[in-house]
Amino acid sequence: MSLLPGATPAPPTAPRRRPLHGKGQAIGLGFVVLYLSVIVLIPLAAVVATSQENGLAGFWKAVTTPEASSTLKLTIGASFLVAVINCLMGTMIAWLLVRDRLPGRGFFDALIDLPFALPTIVAGLALLTVYGTDSPLGLDIAYSRLAVVVALLFVTLPFVVRTVQPVLLELDREMEQAAASLGAGPATIFFRIILPNILPAMAAGTALSFARAVSEFGSTVLISGNLPFKTQVASVHIFNQLENDNVAGAAAVATVLLVVALVMLVALDVLQRWGARRG
Amino acid sequence: MSIIVRDVGKSFGDFAALTDVSVEIPTGSLTALLGPSGGGKSTLLRVIAGLESPDTGGVEIEGRDATRLPAQDRGVGFVFQHYAAFKHLTVQRNVAFGLEIRKRPKAEIKEKVRELLELVHLEQFAHRYPAQLSGGQRQRMALARALAVEPQVLLLDEPFGALDAQVRKELRAWLRRLHDQVHVTTVFVTHDQEEAMEVADSIVVMAQGKVEQVGSPDDLYDAPANDFVMSFLGPVTKLDGQLVRPHDIELFTETRPDTTPAVVDRVTRLGFEVRVDLTVGEEEVWAQVTRGTLDQLGIEEGRTVHVRRAAPVRAAAV
Amino acid sequence: MASPGVLVKPAVRGLALLYLTFLLVIPVGLIFWRTFENGLAPVIDGLTTQATIHAFQLTAVIAFWAVLANTVFGVVAALLLVRYDFRGKRVLNALIDLPLAVSPVIVGLSLILVYGRTTGIGQALAGIGINIIFSIPGMVMATIFVSIPLVVRAVAPVLEEIGDDQEQAARTLGAGPVQTFRRITLPSIRGALAYGVVLAAARSLGEYGAVAVVSGRLVGRTQTVTLLVQERYLNFDQETAYACALLLVVTAVLALGVSRLLAPKEIKR
Repeated sequence: MSLLPGATPAPPTAPRRRPLHGKGQAIGLGFVVLYLSVIVLIPLAAVVATSQENGLAGFWKAVTTPEASSTLKLTIGASFLVAVINCLMGTMIAWLLVRDRLPGRGFFDALIDLPFALPTIVAGLALLTVYGTDSPLGLDIAYSRLAVVVALLFVTLPFVVRTVQPVLLELDREMEQAAASLGAGPATIFFRIILPNILPAMAAGTALSFARAVSEFGSTVLISGNLPFKTQVASVHIFNQLENDNVAGAAAVATVLLVVALVMLVALDVLQRWGARRG
Repeated sequence: MSIIVRDVGKSFGDFAALTDVSVEIPTGSLTALLGPSGGGKSTLLRVIAGLESPDTGGVEIEGRDATRLPAQDRGVGFVFQHYAAFKHLTVQRNVAFGLEIRKRPKAEIKEKVRELLELVHLEQFAHRYPAQLSGGQRQRMALARALAVEPQVLLLDEPFGALDAQVRKELRAWLRRLHDQVHVTTVFVTHDQEEAMEVADSIVVMAQGKVEQVGSPDDLYDAPANDFVMSFLGPVTKLDGQLVRPHDIELFTETRPDTTPAVVDRVTRLGFEVRVDLTVGEEEVWAQVTRGTLDQLGIEEGRTVHVRRAAPVRAAAV
Repeated sequence: MASPGVLVKPAVRGLALLYLTFLLVIPVGLIFWRTFENGLAPVIDGLTTQATIHAFQLTAVIAFWAVLANTVFGVVAALLLVRYDFRGKRVLNALIDLPLAVSPVIVGLSLILVYGRTTGIGQALAGIGINIIFSIPGMVMATIFVSIPLVVRAVAPVLEEIGDDQEQAARTLGAGPVQTFRRITLPSIRGALAYGVVLAAARSLGEYGAVAVVSGRLVGRTQTVTLLVQERYLNFDQETAYACALLLVVTAVLALGVSRLLAPKEIKR
């Protein structure tokens, strides 16, 4: 499963795949490798290398400063909470979009992708407008941890929805009918038939939203106030360390986030296999 | 009567799938709902099962009015064309499903499942997943699953439609034997007249949402109620503006009483049988004769022969 | 056939709709409201200052180059991944998806560490007059980084689906590789390519974090529209901030709409 929302899961093996040979293909591969190295691979490697600038001890020190550990705890804690909420709400929303006969369903379906397309700073501004000091609804949660959670919920909204939705769409309704003919009531059908079949997709979406939440920056900048020890997420911490020329410190926390991202990618791969095995 | 359907009507939007359908299915019988695609057979089956609710009319199952009962309360087993296997459960858990949700004791479930898997010859696949089985095996599992809860009625919706011709033939015979063993009232839907004729005790012919005729295979073949039933159940050709079975056309080399002259257009040997295409006056007709007859009469393309409809030679009218 | 629950259904419906309304609909809707709160005039003013116009131009230029680069990369990479097998293919696949999991700030940091003024490469390039960090090339690189997967993942499934029969047929008729590509391959992926380009463009126009780090955020020099929104808001110029935010919302909505129209059926829901 690609991390890219809305993309199909990894396609089945193509009928014809040729080995690479020939000038054109070699140039193509060379170009692709060069491109990725220059822009992605080498820079990311530099981050990890820089974090080890002062050795493993230095790395550990930078990551365990009071500010750094506070920000990491907040980030991972909030992302975890957000992932759990998304698991629940995302599945409900997917259900609404697939199984409910609500008029105006199409409107909401189109809307779900908005957090993907919207610049994060605009998302932050939008949330601030509703839930900040000048809130027309009288709800002021600015500069609080709740604000961080709300911002993260906004940007991760589509993930579980878009992974569960196609699975729900393709679910063989006849399985549910077969269960009914065997005497199963609606609740039994949901818990014994539907849920087991959407579980891999739910898990994948949850992992995706966790990964996204952990790395989020722009949407938290305005509404959380970035108060150190209170509402400062890891990305903002890295940003501040950079501003203060503490490059090694920034790189250290960045490396932690990269490791988390790596773990998530592996988890997603495993989940994809689990889902595929079920047939 | 195991199932009584009274004046059932069902429409999907503008399309009338069923119109005033009334059918009675005897207890313990093996009945086929036969007809062309879109004729309403599957819809009728699903109405009986409770997977669709009729707009008008009612359904009685084993003496109880089942019209407003949901599918889970009707005591019917249903087998789908595409198996509807619970793909996240093993074969064993699939078959056990109905019993598990009825909270039967574990030992009882285990025994019952074992029995059923033996019945359908899937014992060694008990711990496999449906995705690892062939189509025929999946369908046998689906049957075992439906039988596990001892339904009063077993309904099968084009059960062999998704399978290869060879597997289809095997499973047809197998279904007949199973029914002889288990004796539960069974109704199956098919568009294959050969299948219906081979397997069923009685056939309900349906087209365009209405019942055309009900009867045993022989009844329907020998005494069709109308041209549609006649052409659907066997080969037909038109002689003198009337439908007749090609094997009921007699060929002679000289004139006989009631014969008409015909010119042989083409002779095709199909194994034991021979198809003779003829032109009778303006009509194009074909007759089915044996090789013996062909050789005896010396029929060849271009020759003139004399044809007539054979007198009915049926043993006893049913 | 009853779907689960008679009471559950309205509860799920209600909860889901409430969630969507308060998290999504109201916040975005309110941007419209806030922007035009004091009439049209402040909006026009905000959108026509020097700094704003410069920001628009800069953003457009950066997005253009980033999308162009990623389109070329995307098509080549998709062709390689779909038509060929080679060692390290799985690694390549993973690398292409990697940018989506990386925090934008880390993107910026990583580029500074390699191409910044204090690094070997950075100084070498500065020697020949090319400045990467705190300058446009760096911002383009950062924008490329975050949108790398978009064109590839849009084109690949379609290439997969179409198969290479047509290309082989072309080759038997005497077409060379470039001709085959131009006349057969490219036209067949037109729709998917357009889809990917729109996604990449939307992403590039809206990038914030990575560009914030890499640009130095110099007003009037290296300030994109997203950076402008933040800077104006923090300087109490709410009118301009909201006006530009609104513009970005409209762009995002348009991009979403266009992309849904263009989405090839392999990706469409």
